[in-house]
Amino acid sequence: MYRLLTPFDYFEPQSVREAVELLARFGHRARVIAGGTDLVISMKKRQLTPECLIALAGLEELRFIEFDPVAGLRLGPLCTHAEIARSPLVREHFGMLATACNEVGTPQVRNMGTIGGNLCKAGPSQDTPPPLVALEAKLRLLGPQGERVVPLDQFCTGPFCTVLSSDELVVEILIPPLPPGGAGCYKWFTKVTVTDETLAGAGVVVVRGPGDVCADVRIGLGSVAPMAIRARKAEALLRGNRPAPGLVWEAAERAAQEAEPRSRAAYRRHLVKVLVNEAITELWPLTADLPGGLG
Amino acid sequence: MSGEFAVVGTRIAQPDGPAKATGEAVFAGDVRLPGMLIGKVLRSPYANALVRSIDISGAAALPGVVCVLTPDDVTDWNTFDRGMKDMPLIAGGYRIPPEEAVVNRHPRHFGDAVAAVAAVSEHVAEQALALLAVEYEQLPFVLDPEEAIKPGAPQVSPEAPGNIGKHLTYPFPSGDVEQALAEADVVVEGSFRTPKQEHCTQETAASVAYVDSAGRLNVYSQCQLAHLARRELAHIFKMPVHKVKVLTPFIGGSFGQRGSLCAEPLAAALALTSRRPVRLVFSREDHFTSLESRTGFKRVTVKMGFKRDGTLTAIKTDMLGFLGAYMACGPMASVIGMSLVMGLYRCDNRAGEADMVMTNTPPSGAMRGFGNEVMSFAVEQLMDEAAERLGMDPVELRLMNAKHQGDVAPFGLNLESTYLEDCLRLGGRAFGWRPKAEITSAAVEKGVAETKGGPRVRRGVGMCAMNHCSGAAPLYLEHSNAIVKFNEDGSVNLTVHPAPVGSHIWGALSQICAEELGIRAEDVNIVTGDTDVTLFEYGSDASRSTYAIGGATKRAAQQAKEQLLAFAAEKLDAQVEDLEIRDGVVYVAQAPDRSCPVGDLCYDAIYSFGGHATNFAGKQSFEPEWNSPIYGAYFAEVEVDTLTGRVKVPRFVTAMDCGTAINPMSVEGQIEGGLQQGLGYALTENYAIDPQTGVVQTTNYDSYKVPGSMDMPESTVLIVDEPDPKGPFGAKGVGEPGMVGIAPAIANAIYDAVGVRMREVPITPEAILAALADQDRE
Amino acid sequence: MKVFAGFDINGQTHELGIEPHQLLIEVLRDHLGLTGTKHSCGVGNCGACTVLVDGVPVLACMTLALAVRGKRILTIEGLAGGPELHPLQRAFVDLGAIQCGYCTPGMILTAKALLDRNPAPTAAEVREALAGNICRCTGYVKIVEAVLAAAEKMRGREVAP
Ligand SMILES: Cc1cc2nc3c(=O)[nH]c(=O)nc-3n(C[C@H](O)[C@H](O)[C@H](O)COP(=O)(O)OP(=O)(O)OC[C@H]3O[C@@H](n4cnc5c(N)ncnc54)[C@H](O)[C@@H]3O)c2cc1C
Ligand code: FES
Ligand code: FES
Repeated sequence: MYRLLTPFDYFEPQSVREAVELLARFGHRARVIAGGTDLVISMKKRQLTPECLIALAGLEELRFIEFDPVAGLRLGPLCTHAEIARSPLVREHFGMLATACNEVGTPQVRNMGTIGGNLCKAGPSQDTPPPLVALEAKLRLLGPQGERVVPLDQFCTGPFCTVLSSDELVVEILIPPLPPGGAGCYKWFTKVTVTDETLAGAGVVVVRGPGDVCADVRIGLGSVAPMAIRARKAEALLRGNRPAPGLVWEAAERAAQEAEPRSRAAYRRHLVKVLVNEAITELWPLTADLPGGLG
Repeated sequence: MSGEFAVVGTRIAQPDGPAKATGEAVFAGDVRLPGMLIGKVLRSPYANALVRSIDISGAAALPGVVCVLTPDDVTDWNTFDRGMKDMPLIAGGYRIPPEEAVVNRHPRHFGDAVAAVAAVSEHVAEQALALLAVEYEQLPFVLDPEEAIKPGAPQVSPEAPGNIGKHLTYPFPSGDVEQALAEADVVVEGSFRTPKQEHCTQETAASVAYVDSAGRLNVYSQCQLAHLARRELAHIFKMPVHKVKVLTPFIGGSFGQRGSLCAEPLAAALALTSRRPVRLVFSREDHFTSLESRTGFKRVTVKMGFKRDGTLTAIKTDMLGFLGAYMACGPMASVIGMSLVMGLYRCDNRAGEADMVMTNTPPSGAMRGFGNEVMSFAVEQLMDEAAERLGMDPVELRLMNAKHQGDVAPFGLNLESTYLEDCLRLGGRAFGWRPKAEITSAAVEKGVAETKGGPRVRRGVGMCAMNHCSGAAPLYLEHSNAIVKFNEDGSVNLTVHPAPVGSHIWGALSQICAEELGIRAEDVNIVTGDTDVTLFEYGSDASRSTYAIGGATKRAAQQAKEQLLAFAAEKLDAQVEDLEIRDGVVYVAQAPDRSCPVGDLCYDAIYSFGGHATNFAGKQSFEPEWNSPIYGAYFAEVEVDTLTGRVKVPRFVTAMDCGTAINPMSVEGQIEGGLQQGLGYALTENYAIDPQTGVVQTTNYDSYKVPGSMDMPESTVLIVDEPDPKGPFGAKGVGEPGMVGIAPAIANAIYDAVGVRMREVPITPEAILAALADQDRE
Repeated sequence: MKVFAGFDINGQTHELGIEPHQLLIEVLRDHLGLTGTKHSCGVGNCGACTVLVDGVPVLACMTLALAVRGKRILTIEGLAGGPELHPLQRAFVDLGAIQCGYCTPGMILTAKALLDRNPAPTAAEVREALAGNICRCTGYVKIVEAVLAAAEKMRGREVAP
């Protein structure tokens, strides 16, 4: 690895429109830079040597946190992990996302790194995708042809690959509100030290329905597959049923089977089982008398 | 204990603290000189290869590139041993052959230097590096020491037939081990494995070199052994020693790694070739792949015999270590480890051997503990097993086998002082060590009965004992010097050359000097860091600086004081024997009204017109022929998550007998820092090499994990603070031991918690789960 | 292509001609000679290069210099703001929290940002705030003690008239 970067042209667009125009002009030769915590390292490693960098940091229109009971939470991609983890709105309505953002790297990385960068990096072990896929978040993308909205679980197409074309930007992250009786949490296990990368992560949402059955459950798994995935077979086992300990354990085992880790595979699967079991066991009692959703 | 001293034993702030707290302190990488170039090193991507050719045309044509160094350009210089042991440093004529060149035509490991560039900026240097086109011929390689000693394995070094770099035997054997083992009532044995550990000094290796107009080579060096570095650099570049000057800036950590040459030969070579100042700072990746890291052991087999009453009667050791591609400092890790740990307890029958094997991996060397940690990991776990088998408390077993003053010390010398018993008792009390009955039953039952159905997280406690050396007499060269000079205001210049690696050595030496002279520590200026100015100094390693350089300092101060007092006796019309110095004032005993400030005496002696002008100064060479072992006891509490295998260490207590604590705050700091490194060694740090390719996989902190602030236990440090008869004001060393006992205490606590014996570090969650699964099957 | 840009570093404005690909750490160390900001890992893991940008700890080894033009940058050289050490510096020196000193500038600046936000942190909060700053020498024990001691000192100072 090198310590310094190779030369590039640098642009500081004054609006999202201008940013998109620049992207359209330079295409694959350009990269946008948000917090830079990922991109700068790739450039030091010479994995990426873009000819031109387009800095988003000045675009205040991409930095917002808003909540509406009907539409849910709207997040600007430029929000840093620290801002999201601290946000009273996020903590109140989607605590699991605040938890995940608080788990990213170190305090300095959380001060610099953005949620947009985290999603666009699209590495297998990013921390925000597992809770966000469980929350069925959507991304609003903007390109020269206009806007489109993509569900997060269709955004990633492989490790470090997304549906984003070279002239598109993520301009908003939308999280629909949880249904009444819903609760969620993020559980994770780091590789080695406390601040280390996540070895296995599980974002789980449970919704209690009439008859005290599990009306809905969504399990997002991170670090155990090429990208964050939903453990849909495990979800199906639980949906419509009472999550008795035996069933929860069975579902957790099923989730572990759905995982496809590459390295430390047996252990990661084992952790998925432990984390999913822990999450659902913890969440179920919380959903007992919830007026509205509580992520 | 230190109540009798005025300065020794006080918690003074370090003289270099403000410079470091404000960013003013200059480290090697901070040196900036006019016209300075930036160096970069090209490293081999292969475990073993021959450089067929290097096309430098692209790099040389790049504007701003001043010189490119290839293996063809260094043939006029000598090859060298980075560990600088190509001289009889070690008693018994132990020699390491000069094996490497500044850049190598035959790179023997991933990361070995094959070329270097110097350019006007770091940007240009990086660009030039990328333009060097090297054609390699890949050669067969061997990475595993067990494979390396098989017939037909690729030869790593022409100097090591059969890849045995060194076969070493325990230097202090006694009795008949086999017979003693055969006659023992209880025999415990085990085979252990320990990895390489990277020092992870926060500052990477760096050096700045330039040739001055007098033709002298000036080198800013982080070497802990500055005078040896000067000698070795003179040898490499075929210069007389006086043509080389080594300058020591602040050093951002060492932990043994800077006991060898690191960036210096390359920086000097670039400076000599370009005739411009050159700064060379290793990247973290350079660091991980080219410097010596802690010597790893593929196998350490230990067998111990006991009588039924707990008396240790026999200990036998067999070690297989890996040296990597250069012998450097690695081999001695076995001898030091065996000597220390097999000499910790009274035991009449001892024998040990080690094969130190060469492999195509980055070299191994000294790191805090230097073999002690490996042998402790093995022996102190076996002590615990023995205690269980004998039905004894682990603390009791250690107490009953502890050595006493006057016994033979680990390195064969007289044992000057030991307060191991105090360490065990004090530490045990602070920790809340449980009575014997509770321990044995808990350990046994937990292991067998409770694993199923017990609580998910199990707590356990474990402990171990340790001894370490203060310097390495009589095994290594031990030679220190100090000059103490009085200034006309009564302050003192102390000229010494320890390595300012962060061990608070300037403060400690100023305290020793001030105590001897009866002045304040802040009135001692440390003059250091320039081999032109300082007398010969072996340097700072083996926990020796306070002990040996402190010894030289005390003697030099004494000499200067004698001159001062003789002068004062005349002035005050008194007998020298009746004089004493307190707070910078010379008093006549029983006549407090007859006194004179030290400053006045010094002034009068210097600004004298009576034919008696003199500048009080002492200069002493000191070669300790003794070695006062340091003793310690370590107590760990762990929590083992039986579902995930993760081990947490919430609490740790260390009790240390390091003689008089010259500055208790510094002593605590060494022990607390040792805990961080020991914890990493025990649980998190795993230097990984791809077994297929020999590529180092952990080359930075993103993959190699040292403990952070949130990983650390609550730490309690207890200092026994009893003076040693030999050390300056009773001090012994304390640099290394903090790290040594951590892993064995943790491993013993894990056993206590879940009943499995972990015989390999780092102890990973997967290894815990596997061990628990094995236990279930049984 | 050089760009002329204004930097507010330690309360002083610097007009510098820099290239877009230069990192903040280069500008500080190589252009301005502020070598108190240290380089160690270069990949964001160790915090040795920490500086405060508008009061927030960021890593100079992965920040583009141009990205922080016009913002308030504080490096260790600017902390004391006079001949007297800042209470954090004082506490680090007096309580033995500095060994080799290489992590010290980053540690102290990270701690300053914490105390600005939370003048009365618990030991656990201090550990959390310093989780991105590796120290290989001290085991963090005395560092945490020093931050707590400085916090107390600074609270006392604010109360005093
Ligand atoms: C020490 C360290 C520890 C880390 N630990 C973690 C961790 O624990 N968990 C974790 O998840 N991640 C971790 N990361 C990875 C990374 O920092 C985070 O993913 C961070 O959120 C990335 O955000 P950024 O703004 O810095 O991204 P940048 O580096 O600026 O960008 C990353 C990528 O996304 C693109 N991009 C950014 N924003 C947009 C946008 N709005 N539209 C389109 N493309 C965009 C960029 O072009 C680039 O390709 C760590 C990084 C470091 C250095
Ligand atoms: S050097 Fe910047 S984080 Fe390590
Ligand atoms: S004091 Fe050396 S790294 Fe912290």
